[in-house]
Amino acid sequence: MSPNRHRPHIIILPEDRANEQIANGFIFNNSIIVNNIQIIPPAGGWIKVIEKFNLDLLPTMQEYINRIVVLLIDFDNNSDRLKTVKQDIPELYLDRVFVLGVFTEPEELRRDVGRSFEDIGTALANECFEGRHDLWVHNLLDNNRCELERFASVFRTNFIRLD
Amino acid sequence: MLQRLYVHNFRCLENFELSLKEMSTALIIGKNGSGKSTIANVLELFQKIGRGITRVGKLVELTDFTAERSDVPIRFEVEVLIDAKLYKYLLVLDLPKNFEELRVLEEELVVSGKLIFSRKAGQVKRSLTKSETQFIVDWHFIALPIIHNESENDPIYVLKTWFSRMLILAPIPKLMSGLSSGASIEPNRDCSNFGEWFSGLLNQFPASYTEMAKHFKEIMTDADVIENEIVGKDSKSMVVRFECENKELRVKFENLSDGEKCFFLSALVLASNKHIPSLFCLWDEPDNYLSLTEIGQFVVSLRRSFKTRGQFIATSHNAEVIRKFSTENTLVLYRNSHLEPTLIKYVKDLELNSNFDKKDLDIALILGDLTP
Repeated sequence: MSPNRHRPHIIILPEDRANEQIANGFIFNNSIIVNNIQIIPPAGGWIKVIEKFNLDLLPTMQEYINRIVVLLIDFDNNSDRLKTVKQDIPELYLDRVFVLGVFTEPEELRRDVGRSFEDIGTALANECFEGRHDLWVHNLLDNNRCELERFASVFRTNFIRLD
Repeated sequence: MLQRLYVHNFRCLENFELSLKEMSTALIIGKNGSGKSTIANVLELFQKIGRGITRVGKLVELTDFTAERSDVPIRFEVEVLIDAKLYKYLLVLDLPKNFEELRVLEEELVVSGKLIFSRKAGQVKRSLTKSETQFIVDWHFIALPIIHNESENDPIYVLKTWFSRMLILAPIPKLMSGLSSGASIEPNRDCSNFGEWFSGLLNQFPASYTEMAKHFKEIMTDADVIENEIVGKDSKSMVVRFECENKELRVKFENLSDGEKCFFLSALVLASNKHIPSLFCLWDEPDNYLSLTEIGQFVVSLRRSFKTRGQFIATSHNAEVIRKFSTENTLVLYRNSHLEPTLIKYVKDLELNSNFDKKDLDIALILGDLTP
């Protein structure tokens, strides 16, 4: 049931429980091949996400060429956050690492849309699956535009059931 | 869908209410002795009633009174939503002086506000489609399973069937056998009749094999097919065929590992949910017997299946299981001492954990911070 590491698989590394619950909701879509997606325990802060990535995931990125990593962080109102995080990721792996998250923090998004973290995650997955962008263009998520475009094409190719 | 469960004076449950309104999946956590298994025991009591156990003495014992308080009746209330109708079933048991066995003091079924039957001690009043009737039932017997049903649409039949099909699971893999001499869609709590359950599902819903196969092939990519071989006049035995690089291996179900047996169990739960309407499943510690790499996806598969139909409740202490649920659908049971009753709260309502979404779950669990 755990992902076959030699086939395309996604590892989601969330910053905290809020982001983790969004990730949980994301993989509830029945069309997603859940066995190829693994959510690992929250790092406890965006800097720790980078540290954990470098310590636990980076050493095996070369061996597992089909590994895709999603770093799910809070942008804390900082428009340079994406750039800052990417600076710490070796260029060789930048095409397989995606940095996504709420522009401020998930709690604000939850208040704004009036849905649970899980429901937000499910809605975002449904939009990816259906090729729609409603919640994804919310002003607290619009910062993900470029990363999402890259992620959606990889995601649709490898992680959606065909049956 | 189970909406509400109310229990009074039964073991550690005093004036206890579990509300699961519109929750397709939920997790119940709590320290050892907090009452998680007692909730399963109460639900199993309803399951037994549905499966035809009528004698009160076979459902509740004298030791089940809270703190030996046998002068106060034991009260069970359950509210279930089936086909958009709310079924409210009430059962009150007491122990009059000089009695050696509990008796039924009150019993009642109301469906969407309409009384179906009510009972005081032995006197039963039954509302039929066009009339009303009264009769006597021995007060040591539950009326629900013995009242005659007008048809399969009779609310009594509908509720009884729902009770009987509830899955209350606390599997003991060593007891799980692929041998069967009959067929049933009613697994035991320890799943010792697994072979019969497999046969029963296939007999009643032949298409369920496709669902099972899809699931176990996702879990064990080399699993090819499950055969239910005839091994005697009335007996069958499950054999799993594995295939890899044109080589084949046949393994008796009994010889699978404990974790692998639980994978097959989850495949049967998912297949049941696909074919049995309004299925309710409570799985006591689904993480037992599984490796850490498997737990997350195992729970997600179950939650995903039940998100759109049926209802799935898990109990667990495991951080990996807790992580797969949300603060909105995780409930905490706690007791201040063995002399005090079980209390219940949603994790989202714990004042202490107002910043729970930022906390390290492992540390919170180790420190016992997930209690008020």
